[in-house]
Amino acid sequence: MHADIARLDITNRRRSLIGYCLGMAVYALVVVAMYPAFKTSTSLDKLIQSDSTAAALLGVTGRISSSGGWLNGNIYANFFPLIMLLLTIGYGAACLAGQDEDGTLSLVAALPVRRAIIVAQKAVAMAAQAALLAVTVAVLVVIGRSFQLDTTVANVASTSAAVFLMGLNFGLITMAAGALTGRRGAAVGAGTALAAASYLVSSLAPAVPWIQPARYASLFYWSVGNSQINQGVSPSDYAVLIITGLCALACAILAFRRLDLH
Amino acid sequence: MTAAIETAGLSKSYGPTHAVAGLDLVVEPGQVFAFLGPNGAGKTTTIRMLLALQRPDSGRAAVLGLDPGRDSTAIHRRIGYLPGDLALYPRMTGRQHISWYARARGLGGLSEARALAERFDAVLDRPARELSTGNRQKIGLVMAFMSQPELLILDEPTSGLDPLMRSEFARLAREVVAQGTTVFWSSHELDEVQRLADRVAIIKQGRLLTTQTIESLRESAPLTVQARFTRPIASDLFAGLDGVSVTSCDGTAVQLEVTGAIGPVLGVIAGQDPVDVTSRHADLDELFLAYYREPATPESSHAR
Repeated sequence: MHADIARLDITNRRRSLIGYCLGMAVYALVVVAMYPAFKTSTSLDKLIQSDSTAAALLGVTGRISSSGGWLNGNIYANFFPLIMLLLTIGYGAACLAGQDEDGTLSLVAALPVRRAIIVAQKAVAMAAQAALLAVTVAVLVVIGRSFQLDTTVANVASTSAAVFLMGLNFGLITMAAGALTGRRGAAVGAGTALAAASYLVSSLAPAVPWIQPARYASLFYWSVGNSQINQGVSPSDYAVLIITGLCALACAILAFRRLDLH
Repeated sequence: MTAAIETAGLSKSYGPTHAVAGLDLVVEPGQVFAFLGPNGAGKTTTIRMLLALQRPDSGRAAVLGLDPGRDSTAIHRRIGYLPGDLALYPRMTGRQHISWYARARGLGGLSEARALAERFDAVLDRPARELSTGNRQKIGLVMAFMSQPELLILDEPTSGLDPLMRSEFARLAREVVAQGTTVFWSSHELDEVQRLADRVAIIKQGRLLTTQTIESLRESAPLTVQARFTRPIASDLFAGLDGVSVTSCDGTAVQLEVTGAIGPVLGVIAGQDPVDVTSRHADLDELFLAYYREPATPESSHAR
C-alpha cells in the first residue's frame, strides 16, 4: 500500500483537474497581460478609493494600479481562491461521503489498510491537486513580470502557497464534515458556508469596523487578506494555516473511524 | 480449530429498525456457508459488521479468530470480499480495476486474476459504465477470488450472472473450498443454495431462524401426505393428532402437512377406506418459504 488510494483518485479526477488548471492559467495570463494598459490609470485608482467598501469586497488594498493591488483585486483575493475552493471543497465532499454514497468506497475500505491511512491518502490526493493549481497560477503570475508587474517572485510564491493551504484547509474541513455525516450534500454545505463566511469577514473587515475583530477567525485573512501579495506571508500566517489544516485532518480521521459505510 | 466466523449477540439498529438482532452464528472453516434470507433480512448489515465497515451496537464478532473492531487490517488481508450492489469507477476498465486492486493489496502478480477473468469470460477493456450488471459482477468476482484468500465473503455473488456463469461460479467455489478456503455467501437464490452450500443459516428481520446442513434441513422438512377416499370425509377428522395440519380438504381428497409421527395419521386414513395415499418431504423451497412467512423468532439450537 504505497499511495494507491491517492493515485486512484487523482487519476479519476485528472480531466477536471486539467480543466481547472487550464482555465485558471488562461485567466491569470489575461489578467497579467492586461496590466500595462491599467498601470497608469489614475481614474481607476480614484474610483476604487472613492468607495472603500467596494474596494474591500474586491480585496484591493492601496492602489489597484499597483502590481500588488492589480494581482489582489483580480486574482489572489477572489478568483484564485474561488477556483481553489471549488476544487478542494468538491473533492473533500466526494472523496469519503460521496464515494460512500455511490458505493465505490466499500472496495477501498475493505483493503488491508487502516482508516486513518485512507483519510491521509485522500488528503495527499487533495494536496496534490491543489498544489498543481497553485503552481500553475504562481508560474503564470511570475511570467507576468515581463508585463511590467514588479511583485517579487518570493511574494507570488508564498501567497500562492498560502492560497493552497487555505484551499486545503476548507477541503479538509469539508472532508471531516463528510466523514461525520456520511452525506456529500451536508459536507458541501458545511465547507461552502464556512468559506463564504470567511471570505465576507476578511474582505469586509477593512470597511466595517465592527467586523474587524472577527477577521482573525477568517482563513482568508491569514492567506490573502493581510496584504500578503505585497508583504509576503508571515510565519504566523503559515502557522495558523498549517495548524488549522492539521486539526481538520485529525477531525476527519476521528470521524471516518466511526463512520458506518454503505 | 478456530471458526472462520463467529458471532454472539451481534446487533445493529438504524434508528427504530433492528437490522440485526442478537445474531449467534458459527461458520466452520472449509465449507460453503449460505446466509439466506429475503431482501432486508439483515444479511448485508451482518457482512458489513464482519468486515468492520459498520460497528455493531452490541454483541461481538470474530473473523478468522480476529476482532473486526481491532484487527480489521489483518482480517482484510486474509479475506476476499464482493460487496452487494458492486459499484466500480465508471471511467476505469475492468483491467484497470483489477491491476489497481492487486497493487493496493500487495499481490505479487496478476496470473491468478488473468486465469479467473478468462474463466468468467470477463470483459476487461471497456469502461465500467459501459458494462452490463453481469459483466461488472464478473470483475468483482475476479477481484474477490484473485488473492486466493482464506475466507471469501460474498454478498449476492451470482446477482446478474447468466446460468452458465452461475455454474462456473459454483464450480469455482467448490474448487477453492476443496483447497481449504471458507466461502460465506449471502443469497436469496434457493436453487443455488441447495446445490452448493454445505450449511445454511436462514435470517429474517435480523433474527436467525435456523442453522443446519442442507441434509438435516431436508430431513426436518414436514411430510406432505395426500389421500383420496371412496366417500367424502370430514375435515376435522385429523384434529386430535399432534403435528398434523390440514392444508386442503376437497370432499374425497385431503392434503396434510405432518411434522409429528406418521403412524397415527396412517391409522386414521386406513379407517376411512382410502383409494390412494402418497407422502413426500416438502421441497426446500417450500420449507424456506415457510420460514420466510412465519413471524421471526430466534432459533434455540445452533447446531454446527
